[in-house]
This record gives sequence, structure tokens and C-alpha cells, in this order.
Amino acid sequence: MSTNLNNNNEVSFVPPFLKKIFEYIKSTPVWKSIFRVGYPDTMPKRMAVMRSSFYMHIFPTKVGVHGMKIKYGWCMGGITFFLFLLLTITGILLMFYYVPEEHRAYNDMKDLRYVVPFGVILRNMHRWGAHGMVFTVILHMIRVFYTGSYKPPRQFNWTVGVLLLLITLMLSFTGYLLPWDQLGFWAVTVGTNMASATPLLGYEGPFSKYLGIQIDNDIRFALIGGTRIGPNALVRAYVWHCVGLPLIATALMIFHFWRIRKDGFSGPM
Amino acid sequence: MAETKTDAMISTQPGYDRMASWPYFIWVVLLCMFFITILIWTVSMFFNAPLEEAAEWAKTPNPAKAPWYFIGLQELLVYFDPWIAGVIIPNQILIGLILIPYVDTAPEVQGCYNYSRRKFQFVFFSFGIFLWFFLIITGQLLRGPSWEIYWPIIDYPLGGHEWTYPNQILKASQAKLHNLSLPVGITISVIGFIVGMTLPAIMFKKYFKELGIIKYSLVMTHVLLTLGVVGKILLRLVFGIKYVIVTPWFNI
Ligand code: HEM
Repeated sequence: MSTNLNNNNEVSFVPPFLKKIFEYIKSTPVWKSIFRVGYPDTMPKRMAVMRSSFYMHIFPTKVGVHGMKIKYGWCMGGITFFLFLLLTITGILLMFYYVPEEHRAYNDMKDLRYVVPFGVILRNMHRWGAHGMVFTVILHMIRVFYTGSYKPPRQFNWTVGVLLLLITLMLSFTGYLLPWDQLGFWAVTVGTNMASATPLLGYEGPFSKYLGIQIDNDIRFALIGGTRIGPNALVRAYVWHCVGLPLIATALMIFHFWRIRKDGFSGPM
Repeated sequence: MAETKTDAMISTQPGYDRMASWPYFIWVVLLCMFFITILIWTVSMFFNAPLEEAAEWAKTPNPAKAPWYFIGLQELLVYFDPWIAGVIIPNQILIGLILIPYVDTAPEVQGCYNYSRRKFQFVFFSFGIFLWFFLIITGQLLRGPSWEIYWPIIDYPLGGHEWTYPNQILKASQAKLHNLSLPVGITISVIGFIVGMTLPAIMFKKYFKELGIIKYSLVMTHVLLTLGVVGKILLRLVFGIKYVIVTPWFNI
């Protein structure tokens, strides 16, 4: 490929005729209707490009130089959010192939591995992404603590963050049951059995017998829809995993991000 | 764009430089996204997500383990009854986390890694995280059948999961456990609580005054609860004590 020198004596790898085509495309009304600001090479345009786009508007027009350093923020909140998006996309694709029914669920998993094109990589990405998200959300919390970023005015955003941590764990936990294999089945059995020990509300918990709590009306029963993990638990896990918890997580994240945009990144005060 | 109060507040601070988000910030975000996608994709090419045999109610695996992020709680079951390990402790952790910004309000140390001026916060939080991961690693990597400790090299000369073979001699804990009598248990707990609450207030008068009685009590309750968990673990491991307090309704 030949290199060309443009007007400013900069090396350009784009052949002149292509450039002309680009120029033409950029001057069409259609292009201009989509990208209202030209290439953001001046300060006002850099502001405008962030402000005038719906999606870009999640970012501030200006950021503190301090907060941008990787060693400061570790990018962990952003990575957590990105993993959430990745999990949403792979999750929706998985829903095409998976039916939460006692006799089908496990076979659907086998199909994903051996039959569905790219099914194995789809499931792997969803699985490892989920573990990754749990891990990055913990790292994010650790970072926010060590930089003291929960100090005023961000106290309540930390609280929302703690709820997000809880929801992330619940999302991962409900997903664990869905393959309906020995691993998930028993992990969720162990996990939900703990609920039966809740004081007052669980049938094995202290003081619950005074409230008439039994195995078939305690908090564990409400969670898994039965006295043991079975078809009802599978449907409940599925609905929480694919609808309930993602909606709650999204609502909390919208709040989390709104606050961050309003308060700015933490920085030296 | 109309700037919010806090935004304006911050941007007028001396030494607070701001720059346009385009292009640097956007590039960082984009590169992050590429990097993470490629990372997850690559991992997914080489490692398959686990899938064991179909779920069967009649076949209880030994041990049945919770997912790794909850295994710390399962590990606590060795030392506590389920209502403490599975309900009280996780809820207390959540409450404690939520309380952090409301008890630690000193605004001057913010937005930078400044350990020397927040030694206590640093030590307490780090200890909590350490304890958490310590329990996770023990539960995930060292626990075998009947939740006994299985050391990686000593107990698995071939490096595999030998307990899945039949006829394997399983470990059985030899430790004899006993309980403290009720008066002794209560006395120890009450004395521990009173000393734990008052001693730091006397030793660090300045901080006590700064915090005030309410914040101080909240902080110290959580410090003592954490130490209590560690103390109970040590009592069980070193002296074979199962319960400190035994009542007809519940045991601690
Ligand atoms: C699903 C989970 C979460 C997502 C997607 C998320 C996302 C984010 C993002 C993108 C930021 C911008 C700064 C950065 O990337 O570090 C942020 C900041 C923040 N997050 Fe989270 N977060 C989550 C969970 C949490 C948790 C568990 C906590 C704390 C318990 C928390 C507390 C905060 C606080 C206080 C800030 C402001 C930090 C600053 O200004 O330096 N977040 N979060």
C-alpha cells in the first residue's frame, strides 16, 4: 500500500480516491442526520459529541484527570457493568435453547455442548463471565473502600452498591441450579437449606416452632416452592434469574450510574 | 450542560484538573471492552463450563459444596450452627458494609490511597476480606468427604479427587468436642463484651470523642462480632469447644 502525505504533512494510509468517497458520504444528509457533530477535533466539538448522543450521555463531557488513572479506579466498576451486558446478551441467546423443565433442562445443556452451533462457547462465556462478574464486583468494592470513595457525598451510592453486590451473588446463585446437574442441584440444596435455619421464619431455626412454622410453610418453602429442590424450584430459579433479578439489578445500576454522573468520580478534595 | 452542585463543587477544588472525555476516556472504555471480551472468549475456548451427571435426589455427593462465593458461609458451619453461619453472619456483614459510610465520615481522607491516615479502617476492612477469602480457600480447596481437611499433596499423592473411588478409607475427625457450662459461657461472653467496648474508649480517648457514643458503639459492635467469630473458630480448633452458650432454644 502506498503512503500519502496529506495537507498537514501527516502520513496517511488512506488512498485519495477513498478519501473522496468518505468526504462525499460525510456530506450526505443521511450521514449528517445520524452523526450531528463532525469528528470531535476541537474542544467544543468534544463536548458536543458527548452531550448530543443519547448513549454517550452516560459518560460525562469532562472527567477529572485524577480519576482516570487505571491504578486509581482499576476500571472494575466499568468491567463489572460490561460483564453484565455480556451476560445479558449470552443469556438471552441461551434462553432460545433452554427450557426450565425437570426432564428437559439437563438434556438442553447436553444439546448446547454437542448439537447447537457455537452452543458450547455460548454457555462457557456465560458461565465464566458470571464468575468474572462476582469477582470484579468484589474487587470494585475493595477499590472503593481503599480510596475512601464512599465518603460524602457518595454514602448512599455505597449502599446501593452493597445491594448490587447482593443481587450479583443472587443472580449467580440462581443460575447455578439451571443446568440441573449434580453440581448445581446439590450446591443449591446446601445453600437453600441454610434458609430453613432462619430464626423465627425457618422450620429448623430458633423460636420458629412458637410461630407454627413447619417445613411446608417456612421461608425456604417460599424460596424453592416445595420441601426440597424440585421442578418448582427450577422454575423459580429460572424466573428470578432471567427476569426478576436482572430487572432489579438494572434499576439499581441506573441509580448507581446517575449518582456517579451527578457526583463525578471521587478525587482529591 | 447544567452542572450539578456537587460537580461544580468538586471542579472548583484547587488541584482538580479536568479533561474532555473524548477521546481518552472513551478509548479506555473501548479497550477495556475489547480486552474483556477477548479474555472471556479465550478462556471459553479452552475451558468448558462444568456439567456433571443429571441431578438425582437419591445420590447425595459427599461433600456437596456451595458455589465458591458462598463457600465461606458453608465453611463457617464447622464452627457455628446454621442459623448463625447461614443467616446471622451474612446479614451482619451486609449491615456492617452499609453502615461504613455512615460511621466513617471524616471527609478529608477521600479519593486517594491514604493508609497512614485511616489505619484502623484499613486494618479492619482488610482483615474482613482476608478472613472471607481464607474461609473460601479452605472450603473450596481443602475440604473433602464429610467436610474433613484433605491436604493437596499429602492426601492426594496422584493429584486427583480420590474420594470418588469406592473403598477409599475416609478420614473421620477424632476430635472430642465439649461445651462450656452456661454460667461460664455467659460470664466469658459478657466480660468480653464489656471489656471490648470500654477498653478502646479509654485507650483511644481522642477517637472516642470524635466518633461519639452512637458511632463508636456501632463500630465496636462489629469489631467485637468479627473478633467473636475468629475467637469461636480458635476455641473450636484449639480446645475442641463446640458451644460457648447452650440453651434449650439455641446454641452459640
Ligand atoms: C453490579 C455491580 C456494580 C456495578 C456495575 C458498578 C458500577 C460502577 C461504575 C461503572 C462506577 C464508576 C467508577 C469505577 O468504575 O470505579 C462505580 C463507582 C462506584 N461504585 Fe459501583 N458498581 C457496582 C457495585 C458496587 C458495589 C458492590 C459498591 C460498594 C459496596 C459500589 C460502590 C461504588 C461507589 C461508592 C462508586 C463511586 C466511586 C468513585 O467515585 O470513585 N458499587 N460503580
